[in-house]
Amino acid sequence: MLSIENLRVVYHDVISVLNGISVTVNDGEILIIIGANGAGKTTLLRSVAGMIDFYDGDIIDGDIKMNDESIKGLDATDIMKQFGLTYVIEDRPVFWYLTIEENLGAASFSRWDKKVKTDMEDVYGLFPVLGKLKHRKAGYASGGEQQMLAIGMALMTKPRMLLLDEPSLGLAPIITEELFSIISQLNQTGITIILVEQNAHAALDIGTRGYVMETGRIVLDGNARELLENEDVREFYLGSGKKERKSYRDAKRYKRRKRWL
Amino acid sequence: MVDFIQALGSGILVGLVYALLGLSIVIIYRASEAFNFAIGEFLVIGSFLFYIFFFDLGLPLLIALPLGLVAAGLVGALVERLTIKPLLGRSPLSMTIITLGLGFFLRACVQLIFGSHSYSFFLELPDITQEYGDLLFLSDPIWAGMLSLCTFGLIIFLLFRTRWGLAIRATSENQAKAMAFGIDARFILLIVWAISAACIAIAGIMISNFGALSSMSAIVGLRAIPVVLIGGMDSIGGALIGGIIVGVCESLAGAYIEPLGLIGFKDVAPYLLLLIVLLIRPYGLFGEVRIERV
Amino acid sequence: MKQRAFFVLAFTLSLILLFIGPLSAKEIKTLSQFPMSGPVGSLPEFGWGFIDGMNWVNNEGGGVNGKKIKWFLEDMRYSPKVEIANFNKYCAEHSPDEFLIATGYITGGLKPLIDKVNKEQKIPWLDGSYSAEIFGPDGGPIKYPYYYSLGATYGDQLKILLKWIKENYKGKGDPKVGLVYSPTAWGRDGLAEARAYAKKKGINIVAEIEYPYSATSATDECMQLRKAKAQYVIYHGYSGASGCTAIFFKTAKKILKRAQLMGTHYTTGRMPILVAQDAYDGYVGVATRPFCDAVPRAKTPMDNKMVKMAHDFAKKYRPEEYKKGLRGGGIKDMFLYMDGMTYAFLLQKALIEADNAGDLSREGVKKALDNLVWDFNGMFGGKTFSYKSHTIPMLQIFKAQVKLVDYKGKKVPMGAVVPITDWINVDEVKW
Ligand SMILES: Nc1ncnc2c1ncn2[C@@H]1O[C@H](COP(=O)(O)OP(=O)(O)OP(=O)(O)O)[C@@H](O)[C@H]1O
Ligand SMILES: [Mg+2]
Repeated sequence: MLSIENLRVVYHDVISVLNGISVTVNDGEILIIIGANGAGKTTLLRSVAGMIDFYDGDIIDGDIKMNDESIKGLDATDIMKQFGLTYVIEDRPVFWYLTIEENLGAASFSRWDKKVKTDMEDVYGLFPVLGKLKHRKAGYASGGEQQMLAIGMALMTKPRMLLLDEPSLGLAPIITEELFSIISQLNQTGITIILVEQNAHAALDIGTRGYVMETGRIVLDGNARELLENEDVREFYLGSGKKERKSYRDAKRYKRRKRWL
Repeated sequence: MVDFIQALGSGILVGLVYALLGLSIVIIYRASEAFNFAIGEFLVIGSFLFYIFFFDLGLPLLIALPLGLVAAGLVGALVERLTIKPLLGRSPLSMTIITLGLGFFLRACVQLIFGSHSYSFFLELPDITQEYGDLLFLSDPIWAGMLSLCTFGLIIFLLFRTRWGLAIRATSENQAKAMAFGIDARFILLIVWAISAACIAIAGIMISNFGALSSMSAIVGLRAIPVVLIGGMDSIGGALIGGIIVGVCESLAGAYIEPLGLIGFKDVAPYLLLLIVLLIRPYGLFGEVRIERV
Repeated sequence: MKQRAFFVLAFTLSLILLFIGPLSAKEIKTLSQFPMSGPVGSLPEFGWGFIDGMNWVNNEGGGVNGKKIKWFLEDMRYSPKVEIANFNKYCAEHSPDEFLIATGYITGGLKPLIDKVNKEQKIPWLDGSYSAEIFGPDGGPIKYPYYYSLGATYGDQLKILLKWIKENYKGKGDPKVGLVYSPTAWGRDGLAEARAYAKKKGINIVAEIEYPYSATSATDECMQLRKAKAQYVIYHGYSGASGCTAIFFKTAKKILKRAQLMGTHYTTGRMPILVAQDAYDGYVGVATRPFCDAVPRAKTPMDNKMVKMAHDFAKKYRPEEYKKGLRGGGIKDMFLYMDGMTYAFLLQKALIEADNAGDLSREGVKKALDNLVWDFNGMFGGKTFSYKSHTIPMLQIFKAQVKLVDYKGKKVPMGAVVPITDWINVDEVKW
């Protein structure tokens, strides 16, 4: 069980991004985190994965505990090795200049053993298209293929807990659906999943519980069903609210972002 | 014709050493986007470390060379730990500037420890001088070329055929991604600096063997600048070709242009060529093709 | 009240001091500048030799007939700018009646100071430069009356070598000579003189090659010499960059198997023995000073009085540095140490002569120098020279004898440069 307690994070010592966040993740669940752009979702994941100092951020308060053991301040590689926690960063975290096979190899670096080859075959089984393209440079694969590769790479690290940061970014709805069904499959094999998503509907559909973040705070939490029914969530994230928009500014803040894709 | 082949041949042999210098710049540039301007000082320090093992302690070459290279690597690693690591994630420009300052500092250290006079340097490798009529290739440059080429090959093997090489290439592409997938990017950077320092040391040892070793030998390190700029800052193959081009260019300028009265042209020629190359291809001859997806 | 008394006291005291100062005895002041640090390397030995020499001069040496010399020493860091700035500063701070001699060490500083020294200040200036441009036939005492050099010019050095070639050449036709020099002002210095002399003597200069100190190889240069069929190669080299000297000799020995390698002052000595080792064996070169280094495992030429003195001084005043030798912080080159001393002795000699003549002024010192006839403490094997030409006109030709010997399981070079002629006074040579 992962528990985040009253976490506060600043960048460059001045930009306060997380203002006291508490989140608990139970083993075996799919936890959904939704929130506007800039709410601090990515920052939260970075903090958990031990990569926040790489971005010149600091945890100034609060704690992160894995089964009651604090993992605050540990190195990313140590967290991965000791707690089986793998963070798939946003924006296609694959190595463009390596082939797909090399990508999977690179991801296995921390656990290099005899079984890497068979694990690779398993990934190809899960995503057949990767197997077909394995000698192609990942940078030339399509967005969907890259995202699948990213999940494949995460699997190569043998995770017990997966942190996925907007995996559906820039994918066509049909691919997103496929992706989410694979995520649910993975969950069934016992991997705990924290899923940060803009695509709230699809995410809440497969999730068990969810949190809504806004400017560094949790504003709403509950199980996935409840959130799907919630008025505010419906209005701002699902685009089907009955109420009039409160103001133009609010609407703009919650508008789906346009990515560079 | 004989003259041409002579100039070409000796140019290629020296060029291979330059290529090794270029390679050590390139791997650091790929990993941390910084240009290591302290290369001259690395060269001198690496050569002196080998000097201690081989000449002072009198160990056989086959033991002294690996020991010297490991020592040079350790110095490279130490330098990375103390000066580059604290800047990780910051602008590569600040790292580049740090290496400039580092160069001055290391030079002062070397002069303090070893003084500023020359040390004799005779490797006593088997004589493989090649002489055909008027053509003459001396033993030392042939050894230097061969050893540099072997080292070059070894580095390529390391990078493209081993797991560590894979991790180095991954980290070179993107440190954050590498970290996220469990590659200790900081440690990999350390290793890259160590490898680079060892390569520079090999080049330094070879060049010292032509003459002697002193803190002045640092000048040779500057040859790496046209090499990588011509070849492309991020291209390993480019370093090889760039090195050979610079070597040949120097040697042809020395054989054909300097006798016309343009003294000192040898040193300038690679830069002139560089200017032309940069006009045609701003990223160098072999700058890597960027994968663009928009 | 008390305070006021104190103030008055202090005021009068300072007034008295102010007036007494100039009234007190006239001092003898000199300024010496050496390149002790800088781009070509650090050479603190100059300073050490000079300091030890000066201290001896003022104490055991008896000063200037009992009067002490107030000497100043500056590191000019190989920079003409620094040399000039220091000189200007001392000229401004010290009265011309007291500041009697200045010394420098580099050609670069001499040229911009020509007017200031020779026309404005009219102060005798002793220099380490061997520049033929300043001290050769086109310069000399008439043009630069206050400049004095402490060694024969590069022009004279090259000419003596050419003369030696002519005298020792046994083949048919004219001897073929190649010149290798650095692409710098001092590297080209003296070449014109040498060319003219070669022409006159029937010596064929078949190649002139510039060899920069950034060189990583000398193959091209040596191949050109080979193509030109040079029988003699004169390497007119550097004081600092012995690394590229080593490259040249190592390569030349292999490519120019039959040519006689030769060289000027800065290539004749200990450093090439150490760095070029057996490639230096058989070298013939000229030098302005006796060979004075304790090459490891070889006898030092202690039969020379001045050399012996330098070693005694170093042993006595710098035991640490003398013992350390080549290792960092030691006296790596006795020539440098001895040259520092040389300045101290020449300063003393000139000032004593001037004082004896009753004219302890700049002009007096100049007269003393012009009339000086001296053996320089036996530096030139007892020969005396006159300073009329404003250079110490003494040269000797040496031959290097180096062989590799086993020492603690390692091959190390053993040898020295040994004189093959007597000291030659170039002022008296019949060219
Ligand atoms: N390295 C950084 N340095 C400074 N500020 C940062 C840094 N990374 C993020 N921020 C700022 O922190 C805030 C939260 O960023 P974060 O990336 O965590 O948001 P997010 O919820 O993931 O947004 P998105 O949905 O757009 O991915 C933003 O205002 C952002 O500008
Ligand atoms: Mg984000």
